[in-house]
Amino acid sequence: MMDYAVVIDGLSKKFGAFAAVDGISLKVEYGEIFGFLGANGAGKTTAIRMLCGLLQPTSGTGTVNGFDINREYEKIKPSIGYMSQKFSLYGDLTGRENLQFYGTVYGLRGGRLKGRIAELVDGLSLDEFIDRPTGALPVGWRQRIALAAAILHRPRIVFLDEPTGGVDPVFRRRFWEILYRLADDGTNLFVTTHYMDEAEFCSRISIMHRGKIVVVGRPRELVASRGLRNLQETFISLISEQGTDG
Amino acid sequence: MRHMWTVLALVTKEFRQVFRDRNMLRLIFLMPFLQLVILGYAVDTDVRRIHTAVYDFDRSRLSREFVRSMSAGDYFLMSTSDRSVLDLDENFQTNRFNAALVIPRDFGRNLENGNLAPASLIVDGSNANSAGIAMGYAGMIAAQFNRQAAGLAPSISIRQKLLYNSEAESVYYMVPGIVAVLLTMITVMLTSMAIVREREMGTLEQVMVTPISTPAFILGKTIPFAVLGFVEMSLALAVGILWFGIPFAGSWPLLYGLSLVYLFTTLGMGIFVSTITSTQQQAMFFAWFFIIFAIMTSGFFAPIENMPPVVQHMTYANPLRFFMRIVRGIMMKGAGVNTLYRDIAAMVLYSAAIFSLALMRFSKRHR
Repeated sequence: MMDYAVVIDGLSKKFGAFAAVDGISLKVEYGEIFGFLGANGAGKTTAIRMLCGLLQPTSGTGTVNGFDINREYEKIKPSIGYMSQKFSLYGDLTGRENLQFYGTVYGLRGGRLKGRIAELVDGLSLDEFIDRPTGALPVGWRQRIALAAAILHRPRIVFLDEPTGGVDPVFRRRFWEILYRLADDGTNLFVTTHYMDEAEFCSRISIMHRGKIVVVGRPRELVASRGLRNLQETFISLISEQGTDG
Repeated sequence: MRHMWTVLALVTKEFRQVFRDRNMLRLIFLMPFLQLVILGYAVDTDVRRIHTAVYDFDRSRLSREFVRSMSAGDYFLMSTSDRSVLDLDENFQTNRFNAALVIPRDFGRNLENGNLAPASLIVDGSNANSAGIAMGYAGMIAAQFNRQAAGLAPSISIRQKLLYNSEAESVYYMVPGIVAVLLTMITVMLTSMAIVREREMGTLEQVMVTPISTPAFILGKTIPFAVLGFVEMSLALAVGILWFGIPFAGSWPLLYGLSLVYLFTTLGMGIFVSTITSTQQQAMFFAWFFIIFAIMTSGFFAPIENMPPVVQHMTYANPLRFFMRIVRGIMMKGAGVNTLYRDIAAMVLYSAAIFSLALMRFSKRHR
């Protein structure tokens, strides 16, 4: 039981009559880069926000790092990092000021905080941009600083919601190199994306459609089981099977 | 201990943001000056130097004496109009004159013979308040003139003495009011906007995903605006005392201490507004609505005693009403806890209730 990073069972979120997330169940082991796939509006962000304790589920249960998402959602927070789809650091503060702020909130101070920021600036090659207001930076750099803020406190799991949205291919590739390094160091990644090439970097993926999880598995096995050439085709074939009228 | 550092980090962050926003800074620090200078000069409710046209058809010794006694005080500026008395409308409409004194023929003779000697004072009544005051002055002057003309000893003499504001300067009354209004405006507006702006920008979500505790967040978000509120208040007091020369009769620590109590009301209101709105426009509208209600029913402009009974009861729903009396009491009358305790008790209740309500409504997780 405690070996799972994320367990969800029958998780639902309804906004009025609309079920944004409709009874999804999932188990994610430690040591995985888990890809949470789906088209826009499939319910990925809603699901992640429930796992991070930002949104109260309508029904269903789950644990993150062993903590109950319905009752112990505040206990989840010290051990997770979250990078939202929309850039959500303070645009009028510099990257360093943002990191200092978040570091202190997570309980880092003084030399330890300074050291950790220096380590991240070095590791993510941020030195050129770290002392400029983040609002004025190119998207790719902003996202790197946002990642730095999300992993500042060395969380066990990092939830990344479309971390490479609006970023050019070179930046995306570099960003994934950083994610791989993180995973190698033992951080668990839970990533949403709709880039299929990125999905192939994941150890396991789930595909979500209209609030439901359609399939879960290793990318290569999913492709093989359908007898198709690549993940892109597999994704399209799976989604069209579901129909568009629900 | 950890919470204390978190609060400090939030306060630092908030101040950095405020000081980096030039427009905001200008607004925060120019507002007290503008409000004081404009309101201090503009809202002068004293009625003086009423331009009065004189139509003396009698031209006797007594009529001239009466005109002289009318102009003796600072109340009426008497001058003859070059227009006919029939053109009074035009004189009033152009605001060349706001009153006219018409002395008919035989005024002097009637008076000497001990008969009734009518004279008319016609006053521009569009501002009912100053018209009434002008009429009052004229009546007093006429009564005094009567007694002198009749050679009577004054029967009842009222010796007037104004306590606390002996020069009857309305600015002495306005400045303490402005201090209370400024503190309300700045703290309600800035607190609600600061939280809602973060919600709108998406930065609030990033903070809510951290283990920050709700009290630490609330403190970190309100302390900066409490500090700015005190700075504003001190600026307003400095301008009031140094520029307008208003006296300060009471205790400084009491004024600041009770202002701190009152801040829990306004900061709580700011947080509350932020919990029921999702955009800065909405927050601005709600904050504005609260502030207008608070100012109108606080006795800032019009005395509460002049309001209809129903509205007088409504004023008890307004925390600023109590704070207004406290500030004016301390500054003008040197009042202390022993005389202000009722207002203080009401204010403490409001602060506790509104701040707790705000804390209860604020949640780190969406429903």
